[in-house]
Amino acid sequence: MSELKTTSQEEREVILSASDLHVGYGSVLALHGVSLEIKKGELVSICGINGSGKTTIMRTLAGVLKPKSGKITFKGTDITGKKPEQVHKLGVALVPQGREIFPSLTVAENLRIGAFGCYKPAQYQKDLETMFELFPILKERYNQGGGLLSGGEQQMLAIARGLMSNPDLLMLDEPSLGLSPNRVDQIFELIEELKSRGMTILLVEQNAERAASISDRVYLLSNGRVEFSGKAEDMASAIDVASLYMGGKEEVK
Amino acid sequence: MAKNRIKNNHGISSKLSTPIMLSVILVLVGYFIWWLNIPFVQDIYTSAAITLVMVLGFQIFNGNSGILSWSYVGFVGIGAFSSAIFSMTPQMKSMQMPEMYPFLVNIHVPFVVALILGAIVAAIIAAVVAWPMMKISDDAGAITQFALLIVIHVILAQWSKVTNGPRTFTLGGQTLTTIWVAMISGVVVLFIAYFFKESSLGLKLRATRDDRYAACSSGIDMVKTRYLSYIFSAAIGGFAGGLYSHYILSINASAFYMTLLFNLLSMAVIGGKMSVSGAFFGTILLTLARQGLRQIEPVLTNMGVNASGSTEIIVAVLMIVFLVFRANGIMDRYELSPSSLKSLFSRKKKAEKKSA
Amino acid sequence: MSLSIVIEFIINVLSMGSLYALIALGLVIVYGICKLINFAYGEYITAAAYLLVFCAGLSLPWWVAFVLAILGGALIGFLSELIAYRPFRGRSLDALLVTSFGISIILQRVFQVFISPRPKAVNLPAFMSATISLFGITTPLRNIIVIITTAVLLLVLLYIMQKTPLGIAMRAAAENFTTARLMGVNANLVISTAFIISGFLAGFVCLFWVARTGSVEPTLGASPLLIGFIAVVVGGMNSLPGAVVGGYLYALVANVLSLALPTSLLSYRDAIMFVIVICFLVLKPEGLIRGNYQEERVG
Repeated sequence: MSELKTTSQEEREVILSASDLHVGYGSVLALHGVSLEIKKGELVSICGINGSGKTTIMRTLAGVLKPKSGKITFKGTDITGKKPEQVHKLGVALVPQGREIFPSLTVAENLRIGAFGCYKPAQYQKDLETMFELFPILKERYNQGGGLLSGGEQQMLAIARGLMSNPDLLMLDEPSLGLSPNRVDQIFELIEELKSRGMTILLVEQNAERAASISDRVYLLSNGRVEFSGKAEDMASAIDVASLYMGGKEEVK
Repeated sequence: MAKNRIKNNHGISSKLSTPIMLSVILVLVGYFIWWLNIPFVQDIYTSAAITLVMVLGFQIFNGNSGILSWSYVGFVGIGAFSSAIFSMTPQMKSMQMPEMYPFLVNIHVPFVVALILGAIVAAIIAAVVAWPMMKISDDAGAITQFALLIVIHVILAQWSKVTNGPRTFTLGGQTLTTIWVAMISGVVVLFIAYFFKESSLGLKLRATRDDRYAACSSGIDMVKTRYLSYIFSAAIGGFAGGLYSHYILSINASAFYMTLLFNLLSMAVIGGKMSVSGAFFGTILLTLARQGLRQIEPVLTNMGVNASGSTEIIVAVLMIVFLVFRANGIMDRYELSPSSLKSLFSRKKKAEKKSA
Repeated sequence: MSLSIVIEFIINVLSMGSLYALIALGLVIVYGICKLINFAYGEYITAAAYLLVFCAGLSLPWWVAFVLAILGGALIGFLSELIAYRPFRGRSLDALLVTSFGISIILQRVFQVFISPRPKAVNLPAFMSATISLFGITTPLRNIIVIITTAVLLLVLLYIMQKTPLGIAMRAAAENFTTARLMGVNANLVISTAFIISGFLAGFVCLFWVARTGSVEPTLGASPLLIGFIAVVVGGMNSLPGAVVGGYLYALVANVLSLALPTSLLSYRDAIMFVIVICFLVLKPEGLIRGNYQEERVG
């Protein structure tokens, strides 16, 4: 990194860094040497079209996939190849793509699972109150089955579940996927709210412009490589080059 | 390994290289053993060759469809009983099985015809029962297969007028499945299994195994593909059963149940169940391991260690240990070809050393 | 048909069904989380039964023997997972299946070689073979005991699964193992617990099973395993309530068939049962009670 400490951003401590990650499914590589880092309090987005490796990055950082090579450090600890539950315990919470809430568990139970590894009754009650404040709907539906919630509500639940462990890093994998436009607005507002509360967030989005508009920095991914990385403002110039990745194809799902 | 595939496309001769090489091994070893003229070793070879036919028939459906076909050993049993009924003389039948239906007692055909009829009976029964079952995949599919095996087993074990019921069914006469019959059958079925795998039906079946949704959306009729392959597999199983019953000469429904299934499954999985060569080497490896240990057993007993029956324990333990290190078996999904021969042999020796 | 026949039929169905429900639960609790059809489950039952014989040999009081057999079942469940299944986690499903099959065979042979290939008599306390008169019918007391024990066990299990964090985690893991791990649920903990509960249930099953057979042999576990399979298939592979329903339903059908079938066909009862099972699977592959089916496996 640059030695020149020009902005306050760069003075912040790096909370997660990944270097030269190669990750593959079987013999097919999905990531060809991806490096990225996130500083405390930052909101960083990873953008790119389907199949560019966004979800693979998230799953690797969270410990679901083992990188073939490369290194991941979180808060100074090497977490390369650690199990998901170990990574979670260190303070990384992934809200997976497609929400993946537990449909037959109630909202209450889903939230309880979110705090599984780090349950302390007093803290839990406090966190629960915070969640009810952020997501009033969850209080209403507290004892209902998770599967009975609407898509947007499920996304709220998934995020709340991720937050229940008080993570140092929240990773959101396409939280706007499959939601109606006003729900999407709601989710983005929520992300900004979380950022203003000091949460460090890594966001994966297909909707690059939208994500860039709220992010401090953006990584643009294509075919498992980082094509662009830098400030959101600078992406405007890069967008022409990259419009290929974000143009009409976005609608194809 | 990608090299093998490219090579296979060069022409008919290299396409045939896999079954030819396997057959050459089978025939040369068989000829050598015949020449040695030690009855005990010949017995091992003959039963190994029969087992090979069973494993190949198992591989045809199980390996290429990805559905664990438990019921396969049931069809081996059906073939074993029906071919025996076809080949035995009426006198022998009325002597051994006084309860048998008269119309069955009077049938009598030559051995080879009986073998083929045994295969046909198994195929017909498979054709009658299998269609609706072929729609089910995954664990429900495996359990359906399992249920069918139990149905077949109960019927074989209880239908006194056909199978002599729970009592032993004795064929009498002499062993018709000689070392030559077993060897030739092994060679023929090696070619059949390989051609099946490479045929359009086999290709479709493999496609449904790897991704059934993609296969169906490319116009493959999954149920029909599975159905035809299943019948074919049952026919080979029935044929193998006929070989078995005319070799062992006294059979019983429980011979075609869990233990046999476990043996076939372990051979297929250890060899690499998606490959014909895998079935071949899995059969050889486990036969050698089992026979080797069986020789050690009396030695241990002489030394004062109670080892009788421990062969199966050791074989099962070795098998699990082997699978920990090589979950996809010796051959994985690849076939033997000239280029892979050398590396394979060193690997096989290593594995054999482990089990000895 | 007199009332006493009806009552007798109901007690038979309930007691048989209770036992079958326990058997099925032990299978499903492991299947739900690991997607493993555990063939060695039958051998857990056998092992617990041998422990019972062993304890009788030491002339321990019956309740000590019972407790030891149950704990022994739990222990062997735990150990078999630790030693045999853990190395295969996330590997090919076939390898796992062969392993499961292999463990079952190994244990059977171990019983055969190191204990005895012949049946061994089990001495149970007198109340397990006593009879009781109820509503004008006479029935073995153990039939009533099994119904009550099962009811209690089901309630305890229900409490564990619904109210304790570990139970909630197990239900979460059964639905989506990877996501549960992402939430910090420890994979080893959840899987070990499932195997321990499975072995624990096997211990209970063994008590009532040997009370019926009166002896233990190496292949004792085969029939309960089969019964468990059917019950599980009927009830749904991935649902605990389904397993219980399947167990009782199986008992009901088996009892009806025993009454309805002519003697000449009685030996085919199992075949008829399984034909029903096949038809059932063809029509309703997901079972009576649909769990949240997931194709992804433990990874």
